[in-house]
Amino acid sequence: MREVEGVVLSNCAVAAGIYEMRLLVPDASDVRPGQFLNLSSGEGELLLRRPLGIARHSEDCVTVCYQVKGRGTKALSCRVPGDRLSMLMPLGNGFYVKDSERRIALVGGGVGVFPLLSVAEAYRDREVSAYLGFRNRAAICYEEEFRAVSRLTIGTDDGSVGEKKNAVELFLADYEREKPDVILSCGPPVMLRALKRAIAERGIQAPCYVSLEERMGCGIGACLVCVCDLTNGEHARVCKDGPIFEIGEVEL
Amino acid sequence: MADLTTKICGVTLKNPVIGASGTVGFGREYDEIYDISLLGGISTKGLTLEPRRGNPVPRIAEGTSVILNAVGLQNPGVEKFIANDLPWLKTKGLAVVANVAGRTVEEYRDICERLDGLVDIIELNISCPNVKSGGMAFGIRPESIAAVTRAAKSGLRRTPLMVKLSPNVESIPVNARAAEGAGADCISLVNTFTGMAIDIERRRPIIANNTGGVSGAGIKPIAVRMVYEAAHAVGIPVVGMGGIQTAEDAIEFLMAGAVAVQVGTANFTDACAMPKIIAGLNEWCDAHGVKAVSELVGTLRMN
Repeated sequence: MREVEGVVLSNCAVAAGIYEMRLLVPDASDVRPGQFLNLSSGEGELLLRRPLGIARHSEDCVTVCYQVKGRGTKALSCRVPGDRLSMLMPLGNGFYVKDSERRIALVGGGVGVFPLLSVAEAYRDREVSAYLGFRNRAAICYEEEFRAVSRLTIGTDDGSVGEKKNAVELFLADYEREKPDVILSCGPPVMLRALKRAIAERGIQAPCYVSLEERMGCGIGACLVCVCDLTNGEHARVCKDGPIFEIGEVEL
Repeated sequence: MADLTTKICGVTLKNPVIGASGTVGFGREYDEIYDISLLGGISTKGLTLEPRRGNPVPRIAEGTSVILNAVGLQNPGVEKFIANDLPWLKTKGLAVVANVAGRTVEEYRDICERLDGLVDIIELNISCPNVKSGGMAFGIRPESIAAVTRAAKSGLRRTPLMVKLSPNVESIPVNARAAEGAGADCISLVNTFTGMAIDIERRRPIIANNTGGVSGAGIKPIAVRMVYEAAHAVGIPVVGMGGIQTAEDAIEFLMAGAVAVQVGTANFTDACAMPKIIAGLNEWCDAHGVKAVSELVGTLRMN
């Protein structure tokens, strides 16, 4: 991880309330899928950076996506090409897929789909199935990008696109046919809880890893702000020990 | 190249910049970003005799030019610190300030006794606003400040004692003198201001603990005033903190009477804030013909 300055290459809406920002950075070649960066909003009066999952990266460019929700993301949405933003990157453990895990299932909801794109793009040699749930048609993004690197199934809460199912339901409907070697997931807590329940109920043996979110301070494990509870009673730091955890290892 | 060294009750620091407790852990994470041996010192995450789990999440919120936190003294306990982190930290050639807290006066004494001679300075956390017992309860009234300082001092033979004062009080000079009178070797201030940030959609405080400690650039003018008041109330050294982001901010505290400064929230805004402040101090001194940073201490002239 390192402190660097990035230059905004583009910053535009890709779905209702969702922005995609591309940043030129000195080096992004070591970014792992599922890692994140802690990005300055560029607003001096906002002292906290915003932890954002890296959706895509190349040698010298990272792409992050964010939902405009509060002051920080509002400020980010106002940044224009050429603006310089400082950040720490790459952060967190990231997703690790074993060589033996040939069939990967991605289960993503809402803004949780972005870190999963980084997995699909990193493991092009595997059979990747993506099950993505969105609120409605307007919220759908990165459809083409996912379709290029995975077998994509989309569902919406209102049935406006695809089946009227959430990501977990889509995944379960396909599970017997696909039998993935590993399940990787990111989405709202309610979705992760449903996934955990379903895995227990269906007796699914494939390992499952989830990416967690929490309000963060330093982003590097020093301040102990973003802890989560592990099932063994210990605390873990989402930013440093995570954000990826084995689903049975964390309280959701 | 100015002389940046400073002395706090017999301990020489290579420069006056200390990482503030709770923002830099035990130094390991920041050492992955830059060599922390270039710092004057670090004040550890608040240590207690037994491990503490801390508060539920969310533990942090943000306001304009400030943040609020309520971590609640999560720490591995003093024994784990001594076994796992202190040996490593001691190889770094910086001043190790152990920030300690207790639930009772006896616990403060015991943890001081345990760390005596092992660290460079012990910083007494009697001003943590985020734990239900201990912490700030001791830091409000001069009588309890004196009692806990005396107890801590009774556990110490070799290591100097720094008492960290709360700003959530009636009188900084009275409390500073209470610490000095009870045997404190130096004082540090300010800890955070108790505050609240509300999620108006949910009509609930954002932080799970409801209230949190306010820190960051927005509190700096209040902190400077309090450091000035403390420095003029006591004869022992004062370490200043509260919203320092730049070398110029640090110089304000030095001029107000602090012999050294601590930097906390700025580490979250820029992970390299402290190295930049140290470099900036050097540049400022050179540009102003100041040969030693210690020459700046207490040089404020009032209007």
